[in-house]
Amino acid sequence: MEFNRDIRPIFTKHCTSCHGGVKEAGGVSLVYRDKLLKPAESDKIPVIPGDPAGSELMKRVRHSDPDEIMPPPKHGPALSSDEIAKLEAWIASGAEWQEHWAFVTPAPQAAPDVSSKDWPKQELDRFVLARLEREKLAPSPEADGAEWLRRVSFDLTGLPPAETELADLKNAADPEAARAAIVDRLLATPAFGERWAAMWLDLARYSDTTGFEKDPHRDIWPYRDWVVRAFNADMPYDRFTIEQLAGDLLPNPTAEQRLASAFHRNTQTNTEGGTDDEEYRVAAVTDRINTTWTAWQATTFGCVQCHAHPYDPFPHDDYFRFMAFFDGTEDCDQDDDFPKMRWANDAAKRDEATRLELRIRELRAALNAPGAALIQQESWSALGIDGFAPTHGKLVASADGTVRAEGTLPVGCTHVVSAPAADFRALRLGVLPESDNPKDWPERGSLVTEWKVALAAADGTRTDIPFSAVYAEKMSGPREPNPGGNLGEYPKLNGPVSFVLVAKEAVTAPPDARIEVSMKQGASTTGNQATSLRRFRIDRSNDPVWTELASSPDRAALAKELREARGGLNAIPGTHVPVMMERFPAAIRETRVFARGNRLSKEHVVKPGLPELLTGGDGQFADRLAMARWLVDGKNPLTARVMANRLWSELFGIGIVETNEDFGTSGTLPSDQALLDFLALRFQNEHRWSVKSLLREIVLSATYRQTHRAPEVLVARDPQNRLLARGPRNRLSAEMVRDQMLAVSGLLAPRPEGGPPVFPPQPDGVWRSVYSGAKWNTSEGPDRYRRALHTYVKRTSGFPGFLTFDGPTRDICTARRIVSNTPLQALVTMNDPAHIEGARAFAKRIAAHPGDLRSKLSFGVMLATQRVAAPAMLDELAALHADALATYQKDPALAEQLAATPEDAALVLTANTLLNLDSTLTR
Amino acid sequence: MRPEYEYARLQHLTRRHFLSKCSTGLGAMWLAMQGRSWGSAGALVKDPASPLAPAPPLIAPRAKRIIYLHMAGAPSQHELFDYKPELAKLNGKECPQEFLEGKQFAFIQGVPKMLGPQFSFSQHGRSGAWVSDRLPEFSKVVDDVCFIKSMHTDQFNHGPAQLLVHTGSQNLGAPSIGAWATYGLGSENQNLPGFIVLTSGGRNPDGGKSLWGSGYLPSVYQGVQCRSEGEPVLYLDNPPGVSRDLRRRSLDALDKLNASIAEEVGDPETVTRVSQYEMAYRMQSSATDAFDISKEPEWVHQLYGTQPGKEAFANNCLLARRLAERGTRFIQLFHWGWDSHGAAASEALNKGFTDRCNEVDRAMSGLLIDLKQRGLLEDTLVVWGGEFGRTPMQENRGGEEMAFVGRDHNPGGFTIWLAGGGVKPGFSFGETDPIGYEAVKDKVSVHDLHATMLHLLGFDHEKLVFPSQGANQRLTNITKPGTKVVKGILA
Repeated sequence: MEFNRDIRPIFTKHCTSCHGGVKEAGGVSLVYRDKLLKPAESDKIPVIPGDPAGSELMKRVRHSDPDEIMPPPKHGPALSSDEIAKLEAWIASGAEWQEHWAFVTPAPQAAPDVSSKDWPKQELDRFVLARLEREKLAPSPEADGAEWLRRVSFDLTGLPPAETELADLKNAADPEAARAAIVDRLLATPAFGERWAAMWLDLARYSDTTGFEKDPHRDIWPYRDWVVRAFNADMPYDRFTIEQLAGDLLPNPTAEQRLASAFHRNTQTNTEGGTDDEEYRVAAVTDRINTTWTAWQATTFGCVQCHAHPYDPFPHDDYFRFMAFFDGTEDCDQDDDFPKMRWANDAAKRDEATRLELRIRELRAALNAPGAALIQQESWSALGIDGFAPTHGKLVASADGTVRAEGTLPVGCTHVVSAPAADFRALRLGVLPESDNPKDWPERGSLVTEWKVALAAADGTRTDIPFSAVYAEKMSGPREPNPGGNLGEYPKLNGPVSFVLVAKEAVTAPPDARIEVSMKQGASTTGNQATSLRRFRIDRSNDPVWTELASSPDRAALAKELREARGGLNAIPGTHVPVMMERFPAAIRETRVFARGNRLSKEHVVKPGLPELLTGGDGQFADRLAMARWLVDGKNPLTARVMANRLWSELFGIGIVETNEDFGTSGTLPSDQALLDFLALRFQNEHRWSVKSLLREIVLSATYRQTHRAPEVLVARDPQNRLLARGPRNRLSAEMVRDQMLAVSGLLAPRPEGGPPVFPPQPDGVWRSVYSGAKWNTSEGPDRYRRALHTYVKRTSGFPGFLTFDGPTRDICTARRIVSNTPLQALVTMNDPAHIEGARAFAKRIAAHPGDLRSKLSFGVMLATQRVAAPAMLDELAALHADALATYQKDPALAEQLAATPEDAALVLTANTLLNLDSTLTR
Repeated sequence: MRPEYEYARLQHLTRRHFLSKCSTGLGAMWLAMQGRSWGSAGALVKDPASPLAPAPPLIAPRAKRIIYLHMAGAPSQHELFDYKPELAKLNGKECPQEFLEGKQFAFIQGVPKMLGPQFSFSQHGRSGAWVSDRLPEFSKVVDDVCFIKSMHTDQFNHGPAQLLVHTGSQNLGAPSIGAWATYGLGSENQNLPGFIVLTSGGRNPDGGKSLWGSGYLPSVYQGVQCRSEGEPVLYLDNPPGVSRDLRRRSLDALDKLNASIAEEVGDPETVTRVSQYEMAYRMQSSATDAFDISKEPEWVHQLYGTQPGKEAFANNCLLARRLAERGTRFIQLFHWGWDSHGAAASEALNKGFTDRCNEVDRAMSGLLIDLKQRGLLEDTLVVWGGEFGRTPMQENRGGEEMAFVGRDHNPGGFTIWLAGGGVKPGFSFGETDPIGYEAVKDKVSVHDLHATMLHLLGFDHEKLVFPSQGANQRLTNITKPGTKVVKGILA
């Protein structure tokens, strides 16, 4: 009796949709063992270990009364006698519980014994073979060189093999060594990183636009190139993980490490007028949570946003504890994607730019710190405002000294207030939320963009009072406070915040004068929504400490360094890339649980943490960096399995767990858990997270080397090839379809160093985003012929050829492309002008090949499929060519539209046909 | 092996594959239908080899197809159908505080002024439907139309609200109604895409192509955006220099070569590919024919107000009828420019709004007349509407008076209309409050509308599901319970 194998499937099939994590009908949940052993609402105990007769569960599944039996007849059929017997045996034997397989750390797997000792070439083969022997199946013969070479070239580099590789393989004295050498060459080519980046960018939901309505451009392509470099450098997966999730939090991060954190800035930004920046900030944070869980843990954590997980034991709070890891960053759905890093054009200056950017932040904090510490400590007296002259709305004073603004407060409105004169050295502006209840925060932003103070003498003369320094209780967001303004919080007010403005010189006021404060609120969020000052107070202090602080030599030195650092940074030209950046510690947001997932209905505060289910302990983790380290600490039950499965699925077309995106109870079970665990531990331990090493081992295995040619009986027995009694045969991915066309035709213009996205030909009128002047200006020169990876990705209007071949829109993290086979795909490869341009170039290569037509065609077949064309195939192609030639000779005007001469045109049509062969479109 | 034989073998294989190994995707759908809480009331079995093959619905359908006319930008109910004399009386007065409390607006700030209906209303037809003077042609067909005046949504920005109205979710990543419909029912014509999208000139809607995306459904169910100018389907036309005969000749060669590959390799997908190429070939002629409106007689052009060669809503309405005739399952039209804020003339109630009305009035009325006289309206459901309503207050963007007259976004109440396939003709359902601000009587959510559309197509919205993110997802968002079919409008 094994819970996961025998019992849990019964619960999942019959029970958990009502007695699960979301719905606990009658107070019964079959997701947590302790809940099963406690009395339910009826006071009856569902399961009493060792006592099936006393267990309510057994009574109910056996009941004859339709009102009592479980499941109720209208919900589903009764349990089979076999299922009931299993439950009984399970309870009788003590109702032992197991966590779902994927949440239990994998155990080391010894490779099983097999009878055919000669077949395995790698340890993994013994797992596969043992299974086949159990199933009384024999492996398929080894694929010939051409078949294996085509497969391994596309799988590792996304491109067809070079012409010379096949000859090398055929002529090799030691075929084993030759295969290994080919694999090593493929792993070392820059094309390797480009192919695997294509996979990773689906998970990263990489796009060159921000998404939503206007879907404007975003410069984040340096991150795409980072991924390519990381794969090419075989960056270990643990580092790959940490740098993307928390590269910005590493000590003294390099420019590359900060750039890696752009992984989570591929979230969408909503620039539509009138949208709430907090709503879409939270949407981005939510997306980061769900993406992290899907990409690294293959867990449908998104369920937990609204309620406890329906099938897996994650309580509701777990979601928000995890949210706290991501809630502290500066980004807040700004149109300009603030905050960004400067990615220097000159590679040699990148680290310097990063050092300066981080130093500038440190200096800002250092300049602010001495004053910030005193803001609430010093003694202040109320300014005593008794004069109100707002340009709009109405100002009303309260007994507690605060002032409230009422009415319509448009962008640019100015609150002018005045008070009887008093001496002061500093004024303190308190920017206050309308509500005092933290659960209502954040509110709409509140920002004084221009701060002016004057002394109005009795005779009407006015003297402006200059201020030399500002100290903020907390600094946040894109607007830096200065003595002349930017006081408050933008775009959202996360609670009260005070600013001290230090007068240049101590103000001594004549007794009959008045102090006039003018506060303009010129800022707005997208859609001209004013971020007005809705509630505030002003205090004064005459303590000399303020003047001393503001005029101290330390401050002057820091200010000088800040100026220099800014100057130095501005002298480094570069691309501005959105990256992760934590808010200053004083401004960290408080994360609260959202009732039923609704951000507008907040509950208690939670601290950052991970699910206890997976961590064992209390799950307390300090920050995003600690969380990222936990993912790859070697004890996490999911990380290595999920990645090993992903790599496997890229090679075999289907994962050992078919649902790459879901290893939980609602996903599919592994077809061979021992094999998966073996690969996972090998990846994590022996290969020390090296992706290249694991891939090398797999593509050189006997399993992978089998031919994909299969007798009918085998295909019928195992249509999805889960047993691996034959080699994989997969359709080319969207990227490979384009890249192969470019490679075969000789048009491909490699760009291993990467660069901004390019615009290969696309039909007119595909891009038509509303309120957007963005145009598809077709690239000329080499940029017209880059690999698919470099094609501009626009979320709301994807590249048509890629979408048709199952490329995702990159709206959200996609862990698996479901391969389709449709007539629209045929139209792309037959008619897309880019593919016709490819066919023309391909025809030229064919024409240039020496020999008669048959040898030319044979060469074409070899380029497109790596196969030696059978005579019948050449007959067919030659006949097509002859018929086309006859037509074009009769109608030279028709030919001219395709190529220079009827001969050329006939060959272009033949080349176009070759590029549409099933063998050309598969690997 | 002969290709026909091979094809039969493939069908056998893929079905077996499907039934024996259905743990995800289409198979999982089937399983989910069998599954626990939904019971086993009728299974939707899809054949992965021909995912768009026509499939019977689960309950008796009232409509075989849907033509959905989306007015992107959200037309004002106050200027078209939802006549409120009370609002006229309040015109120019400051908005009472009770209408502002707890509300979030896209642009209105502080205290705006109330804005009465900008055009005159009268009753039309035997049903006595109120329609403003902006839609004279439509006024003549109101007895075929069923209004829902109590629509409401929970999104007040265009992108998210359009996503909600087309996918049931305000976030990207969920399948559109058309994707669900073609997933559930396949297409009646394999030589045309089953789900066709037509935009009328100008621009794509705010929500972008996700409004007709397949979300977590297989990509084969995504809408195919067709164009009324140039080739209707991207890459439909053979390249210059390749005649239809030559394409046929090259396909003959390709079919033979692929058939021998299929025999050699034994991969069923190869045989599927052969059939897909043949379907593409047939699509080249059938789609070209379907999109050629120049052959329509003059009286038809008069009826719709069409001008062949122009990229206009009217042409798309005529195309919608032609596609409906040819068995396309879901025809999605987008018109745009209805965002009548008053920030510019083109989007002002006193200017652009009237232009928009003129663009759609004859065309949509002609469509209803034409469908009816051809007997197509009986089993075609036509849906017209925007993504939310507009405020009874005049917009005061930035807290200032604006150059033109306009209204802000209002999720609380708006009007849509339906016609044909199973809804009551000459009927009005639901009401807003006396100023047309909030739906108050017989409220209909966007999800209720979805459930009703699926019901008319023959599906229980709780049973047309697909597993994703750990749950059986459906068009009527599982995170928003309480969705119901609007029984009151069913004929």
